[in-house]
Amino acid sequence: MRTRVAVPLLAALALAAPAAPAFAAIPKTSLHAIEVQVMCVTCGIPLQVAESPAADQERQFIQALVNQGKTATQIKQALVADFGSAVLDLPPDKGFNVLFYILPIVFVLAGLAILTILLPRWRRNRRPPPPAGPTGGGVSQADAERLEQDLKRYDP
Amino acid sequence: MRLRPWPSIVVVLAAALIALLTYGLVTQGPSRALDSAIAKHVYLPAPDASRPLPVLDRVDATTASLHRWRGRIVVLNFWAQWCSTCIDEVPLIERAQRALVKSGEGTVVGVDYKDISSYARGFIAAHGLSYPNIRDGDGSFAAAYGTDALPETFVLDRHMRVVAISRGEVPSEAWLQGAIAFAKRV
Repeated sequence: MRTRVAVPLLAALALAAPAAPAFAAIPKTSLHAIEVQVMCVTCGIPLQVAESPAADQERQFIQALVNQGKTATQIKQALVADFGSAVLDLPPDKGFNVLFYILPIVFVLAGLAILTILLPRWRRNRRPPPPAGPTGGGVSQADAERLEQDLKRYDP
Repeated sequence: MRLRPWPSIVVVLAAALIALLTYGLVTQGPSRALDSAIAKHVYLPAPDASRPLPVLDRVDATTASLHRWRGRIVVLNFWAQWCSTCIDEVPLIERAQRALVKSGEGTVVGVDYKDISSYARGFIAAHGLSYPNIRDGDGSFAAAYGTDALPETFVLDRHMRVVAISRGEVPSEAWLQGAIAFAKRV
């Protein structure tokens, strides 16, 4: 009984195995490759740096087309069909727009520089003060009075 | 006395950043001409009302402009599939549509903003929207209304003039009913 069930099952699997790759499309590009070439049209910034529900939707759409085996050109055409040519309008890297590319790097470097300078100072400031010595202010009123009386006793 | 340049540099950098952001806001901020006019009880014609836009649903044409609904009250609702607040206000907008259809005085017109069209159609089906929807893929139609965030709703009178605006989710059913009633009598 077990053999009778197993044989057709194995035969079916053997037939299905070579057929499987025919259904799965081979990706011709990747989400990352497209992300760097298109805009998040809602955010107005390149998709690769965009974080928003609209950007996520755009990525999901691109990933679905990548999984279908579409080429980069076909995917960009599909995006243009939905969003218009603005989706391909990455800011030109000249003139005032060069700030789009430079500012993030400048801010990161400035932040690191500030942290490098300020962090050692903060750590120094946060160290606990050294314990009060014999002449420190940690003497109670009663001890101070007793000390005063003792000193008077030894005065000539 | 030892000179400390860092505080000055940080202040200068912060000032430069604020100046840059202010410049960006001043030069690229959305238009509020319609809002200012309404505040003065002036009702401007709906921008781009004759511009044909691709139809998503419930219009027997491939493109439609707002002029198609001239002579009726129009509740123009900008939405997108990726906008969670838009989902929240769907029931309210849908009730307004049913009331307008029942009275025969107008319609809601949805404008799908910067969306993937197949996802937008899925949204319409999933939420059972019974009103016509058109598409503004590149956001240029919405820009004419000063819309750059969703959802936003504009109520137009029979002469296609903007008489009420909700920037953000419609505040309440009473607000929308009041705006529609106002559009009928203005």
